[in-house]
Amino acid sequence: MANDLGFIDPTAGGGRAMVALAPRPMDLAGKVVGLLDNTKEQGTLILETIGKVLQEKYGVAKVILRAKEHYSKPATDSLIDEMSKEVQVAIAAVGG
Amino acid sequence: MTEAVDEFEFFLNKQWSDGFPVVTPTEARLETMLKGTRCDPDEVIGSIPPAMEKATVRTVAIHALMAGCKPEYLPAVLGGINLMLREEFNMNGVQGTMHGVAPLMIVNGPYAKKIGIHGENGCFGPSFRANATIGRAIRLMMLNLGGGIAGIGSATIFSTPLRYTACITENTTQSPWETLAVSKGYLDTDNVITCAMVESPRLCFDDVSQEPDRLLNGIADSMVAMGSWNMHARSDMVVAMGPQHATICSKAGMSRADVHARLCKIAGRKVRDLKNGGNWRRERALGFPIKVNPDDDDFFIPAIKEADDLQLMVAGGWGPCTAVCHGWSGGSKAVHGKYEI
Repeated sequence: MANDLGFIDPTAGGGRAMVALAPRPMDLAGKVVGLLDNTKEQGTLILETIGKVLQEKYGVAKVILRAKEHYSKPATDSLIDEMSKEVQVAIAAVGG
Repeated sequence: MTEAVDEFEFFLNKQWSDGFPVVTPTEARLETMLKGTRCDPDEVIGSIPPAMEKATVRTVAIHALMAGCKPEYLPAVLGGINLMLREEFNMNGVQGTMHGVAPLMIVNGPYAKKIGIHGENGCFGPSFRANATIGRAIRLMMLNLGGGIAGIGSATIFSTPLRYTACITENTTQSPWETLAVSKGYLDTDNVITCAMVESPRLCFDDVSQEPDRLLNGIADSMVAMGSWNMHARSDMVVAMGPQHATICSKAGMSRADVHARLCKIAGRKVRDLKNGGNWRRERALGFPIKVNPDDDDFFIPAIKEADDLQLMVAGGWGPCTAVCHGWSGGSKAVHGKYEI
């Protein structure tokens, strides 16, 4: 861990992992959009409103609303897996 | 060390610090620090969210030495971070939250006394190396390994001075009662850490009350602010009674458990009152783990929803004051356990 400066990198050399972004869709027509509610108050209201607009104005075929177990905890792997199979685009909301 | 590099500036520019200079971690200093534990340096303690870099005995030791710890403090730092990574403590949520709480370590047992963790005059403040550096080591890991840096991995609005350090013990010299750890079923000879996610202490000064009823009314009032998450969620709270206040209760025949029960009972506000300000939302109240009627203006909402959420201890110097640390909304449960020395 020591470098040529003579001291140790306390981050353990972290921050090198790179995650590639998923390809961006050029339009939303005919797509299935997933909406992820963080469970804070009014998050559902915000997402339902967005979902409606996406269907009316951008031709989204279907909207799927899912919620995390708790706003302060990450979405579970199973929820992420489920959404990644069902939707082409996902939107997360923070209520409050 | 090359001449061109000032290591103090280097660490500050890298944001590998809490804003103060750190002790430069070198292999020689690390070797000395690791003498403070019998653990294998490669042993993995866990990953610190949200960045999820690994805390190993070695990386914990690096941060302990950066923080200014003596090698003999290392077991307490290892014990603390080990507990804090338990799922129910929800470190991930606290790292990201808008709120400003910190994991307060309350260290009980003979080893805390041996290494000089301080629980008497000025225990929440400066001048005590073990308190200052053990808590700082935890914070440096939350920054460097966890990425909980304000504006980057943390959305905190104000943060809190407790995020520089948050490590104390109890005033066992002047306390009339058993320790917090013993109240949880441990032995006096056990080395135990309790951690709770709390705000900075709010001081309840009362140099008037000479009997428990009036005294505890005043302390209970400090527990029930409208803007406190304790009134609007299930949340931990630390009440550190000054030994003088604790002695008033003790001399009147109250045990620690009696005072705990009384505060759980009387610290609260009616719905009518809570509606007038702060974080009140009907749907929040319906999410409590206790049954409430948010539509009844006379319904009493307690600050402590579950009795084990109140960490009642005795700390500070002799004088008419008690410290109250409010909790966080995001579902963190205090954790406690023995640590290896």
